[in-house]
This record gives sequence, C-alpha cells and structure tokens, in this order.
Amino acid sequence: MTSQFENEPLDVAATVPDAQTPVTVVRFLYTAAACAILGAIFAAISSADFISHLDRQVHSIHCSVLPGAGATIGESGCRTAMMSPYSSLFRTAIWGGLPISLLALAVYSYMSVRIFLSARRKQVTRTETGFLVVGSALPFLMSIIYGTISVVEVGAICSVCAAIYVVSLVMFVAVILAHRNTERRPNVFSQKSAYTTWFLQGCAYVIGIVLVYFMFAPQSDKVMEGCGKLVRTKARKGVLIPYIENKAGTPAITVLDPLCPACRAFENRLEISGMQKRLNLSVLLFPLDSSCNWMVDQALHPGACAVSEAILCAPGQIDEIMTWAFSKQEELMDIAKKDEKKLRALLKESFPKTKACLGTSKVRSRLNKSLRWAVSNAIPVLTPQLFIRDKRVCDEDTDLGLEYTLAQMLSAGGQK
Amino acid sequence: MKTASTHTAMALFLGFTIPAGLELSWLQNARTELEAASESTSEVAIASVSEDQYCSAHLKRVLRRVAGACGLINDGGRGCKPTDAKSVAAVSGDDFNTLFRPLSHRASIIQFDANEVMLDESAKQLVENAWSAQRGASFFFVVSRASQDGGAKKNQELSRLRAGAVLEHLTTKFDDPDIKNQVGLLWLGEEFAQLGTEFCSWNRSREDDCTQKEINRSAFVAWIDCAI
Repeated sequence: MTSQFENEPLDVAATVPDAQTPVTVVRFLYTAAACAILGAIFAAISSADFISHLDRQVHSIHCSVLPGAGATIGESGCRTAMMSPYSSLFRTAIWGGLPISLLALAVYSYMSVRIFLSARRKQVTRTETGFLVVGSALPFLMSIIYGTISVVEVGAICSVCAAIYVVSLVMFVAVILAHRNTERRPNVFSQKSAYTTWFLQGCAYVIGIVLVYFMFAPQSDKVMEGCGKLVRTKARKGVLIPYIENKAGTPAITVLDPLCPACRAFENRLEISGMQKRLNLSVLLFPLDSSCNWMVDQALHPGACAVSEAILCAPGQIDEIMTWAFSKQEELMDIAKKDEKKLRALLKESFPKTKACLGTSKVRSRLNKSLRWAVSNAIPVLTPQLFIRDKRVCDEDTDLGLEYTLAQMLSAGGQK
Repeated sequence: MKTASTHTAMALFLGFTIPAGLELSWLQNARTELEAASESTSEVAIASVSEDQYCSAHLKRVLRRVAGACGLINDGGRGCKPTDAKSVAAVSGDDFNTLFRPLSHRASIIQFDANEVMLDESAKQLVENAWSAQRGASFFFVVSRASQDGGAKKNQELSRLRAGAVLEHLTTKFDDPDIKNQVGLLWLGEEFAQLGTEFCSWNRSREDDCTQKEINRSAFVAWIDCAI
C-alpha cells in the first residue's frame, strides 16, 4: 500500500526497501484514527453545547451519543457536568472559563491527523507508534481523571463525556497494539527531533484553539452592573441569618429556599468554586411555598416554610439543617405534600433545638419578616439569588459564569 | 518528496482549521445571541404586599381614611373613638360591617366577659395566631366594641381598653417594632357598627353560645390584605 503521505520528510526519512507495514498494524492504526475522529466529534458536541451557553441563556444540551438523538433542555448528567466547575479552566479570568472539551477537541483533532498520517505510510516505524502511544496516553489519562471526578465530585455521568472516555481507551489500546506489532528497525533518524516536532504540532493545535476562544468569546458588561440593587441592605435582627461568617469577607446575601433544587445546585457550585471564602455570607429565607409565602400561588416546594421555620428556630444550626434539607429535598417535599405535620415532627426529631419553637406564632412572624424584607427591596420572586454588597448578581451569571462574576464584582468593589 | 510534505502540511492544516472554524462559528453565534438577549428576570414577578380580591375601591377608601385618621398608632397610641370612626369612615354602621364581611377567613373575634377588658388564655392564643398570619398584609386592624348594657360612655371606655389590651398583648408577646406602624385601633363602644349574630360563625376565641351581646363584647382583629 503506497500513498502520497509516505516518506513525509517532517516525520521520518528511514525506510527499508520492499518492507511494508504489517496489515495488523495498519488495522490497529485505522481503528485508533476512527476513535480519534469519534473523540473529536464528541468533544465538538460538548464544546458547541458549552459555547452556546456563553449568551447567558438556557439552552438544550446533547446528552446522547446515539445518532439522531436531539438535545434536551431538562436536567441531565450532561447539564450537571457542564455546570460543574470541572467543565472548564480559568473560570475567574473569562466568563464560563475555557471548556475542557475544547482542549479535547484540539487533542483529538491532532491525534486523528497524526494517526491517519502514520496509517497511510508504507513503513510505519516504532518511533511513530511510540509517539502515538504517548499522545494517546494524554486523553486516556484525562479520561480517567475526569471520569473519577464525575463520579466522586460531580455525582453525575455525562453520556457524551463517557463516550469520550470509551474512545480514548480504545484508541490507547489500539495504538499500543500497533506499537507492539511494529517491527524494530535501526534508528536512522533522530527520535528526539521527531518527537519534538510532533509535540510542537500538537501544542500548536491546542494553543490555536485556545487563542481563538480567548479572542472571540463574547463578554457582557452586565456582569459588573449586576441586575438590580437592594434598597434596604440593613435588616432587623434575625432576618438575615449568618451563613458563612468571615469578617474580612465582602458582605453578601443569598436568597434561598431550603427545598429548592436550584438552590442546592447553586450552593454546591458556590462551595466548589472556592469563592465562599471571600464572602461574609448571610441567608435570606424565601420559601416558595404558598403556606407562608403569599407571593406564590401554589406550594412550589411544599414544606419549605416548615424547614425555614426550623432554621429560624436554630440559626446556629443553619449549616446542618441546610445540608440535611438539601440532601433530602424530594423526600421532604413528598412528606409535606401528604401531611405537613409529619414533616414538622421529623424536623423536631432531627433537630431537637427546634422543638419548642417550630410552628409557634413567634417564628411564623419572624419568617414573615424575611419575606417582607424581600418586599421592601422589591426583589424578584425566585430562588436562588445572590447579592454582593447591594448589587444583585444576574441569574445568568450564577452558573457557568459564577466564578468570573464574583471575581469581577469582588475586585471591582475592593474586597473588604 | 515535496508532494508528500505538502500533503502532510495540508492534512495538519485541515485538521486544525475544521475544529477552529467550528469553534469560531459557535462563538459568533453566542455573541449574536448575547447581544439579542433580554434580561432573564424581566418576566419574573417582583416581591410585593398582598392585594386580595376583596380590596374594593370603597373598602380601600375607608381603610385609608381610618388608617390615616385613627392610627396607625404613631407616637403614643393614637386610635379612633366612635364619633371619629363614624365621621372618618363616612359610612353607616351596617355598611361599615359589610365592608369587612369578605375578611371572614382572615378575621378573628376576641371575646371578653361582661365589663371585662382582660384577655383570657384562648383570647391571647387567638390574638397571637392572628398576628402571625400576616402573610402579605400591611395593616392589622383592631376594632373593639361593647354590648349595649350600661351607658354609652362606659361602653366607649370598655371598648377602648379592650383594643388596648390586644395591643398590649401583641407588644409584650412579640416585641416587634413594626407593631406601631402596622396596628390601627378603633373602639366603637356601643354606638357604631354593632355586630349581628351572623358573626358568631366567624373564628372566635370562645366556643360557647353566642348572643348579640356576647359577640359585641369583643375586639375584631384582622390583617388587611390591601395595598392602601
């Protein structure tokens, strides 16, 4: 098998007359090339989904690798993974950060070309296959790392990502087999110089893709402006509950409903982002439950009023109660939907400090004060919300752009 | 040799330009969408006080006049006595009561013994429950009365003290600075807007028999869900 790609001077010049690459090696290399192309396609799907969110709107996400499967707008492992801080790098430097999938796209694109060039050569050398092994090890190692993070940290598996992990494994195995089946021949060229050249080519791919991203990723002035301001930052005692007490941090208020799944996800993102350390954070309880909140027509999160009361009864245990409520949201809402008294009994049992207080007119009145503080500031009826000093972080900046937005807002006002 | 080298370079070039071109087009789309996007919360409701269906223009006018002239109890506990209430409300006693009928689900009637101004335990409990059921309401009205036993002057004083007893209990129990801005007191004695026995079916502090005299030895308390 001869081709116009053989004897490429950039790669290696050594050939043995009449020797040909064994068919098995060629097959392994084509298998690896196919995997690299698939990897590039999946990475492109992920990147396109990520980049579509740079307009700060809600978009559907491709969460199936089956041909013809459409994108979905609801919650999925892919959305969870994409919104997690592990989906991108440099998140405080650029809105959303640089998506990891884009780096994968660069690497797989380069590996596709590199493997294809080797497969088309008349005599592939161990130097080439050796480089392919090293080159394939990178996406394979990254797959192991990211697969572990998905399971352990994010707690969600993204099917497109999983497909990338699988193709990286097959590609790695295929190039190892190709390498093992490639005949040893005397080195008549510099292995070091070939590796350097190929490595630099790979780097050029990655750098090029990264540069395009940094040069053309859209930015918005809204990040600094925020989306509204508090009219009254001061509140009566007990309305704003200290959550993360950090006297050196910037004063911030988060508007939360303990049974709101979006609040749980937000709280999780904030914690993982590490930005919490820079905030002196208080919580305004804003249960989206019509049993205490007249601003909602129905109990969007049944039982949220009862859990909020429990927090007001034992403000010192806010962290404990929030963690408990976040971890059992669906279960608690189900209990409350059937019989709220059972939820109240469960709260009293789980947090004995709330026993004498939960359900009393005093604590109900205090919860009402929280809601009325929201009224006096005319804030939107939704959760979660985050205020840095008196400035409201736009909702579209509380997921992918959270770290960037906080970094900008904190540095703009000078961290206290 | 030269051709092979050119082809390699071309493969490398294509291998880069295809993903880079795709990336560029995605970024351009995102930029266009970002510029066209409106603020996400523009269609979200804003936190506000309640405005219930019963808040007719007539009721709001009466409430505004009462709230303005009879309290809220700024600076030392101002309220309205019967003659004030009549002129301020500018409606007949029956019409006055009719205005409050839609509050049946929100109001509570705190009952007192004859010639008494002290709240019993069930009365205290009902006052506390009523106060803590504020929700989005802005004003808490305490409208106290007396039965027509005894003289008008004595009954006026009785009803004033009954309204005061409710206020006193709220202040003691809740220690809430908002009380002075949110509670309006009217004491109507026996002279204005006596309650009929149909009010016996409302939420009362006592479960025993209810005559017209008994229902008027009372303080009617309710949060008003009207933005006045």
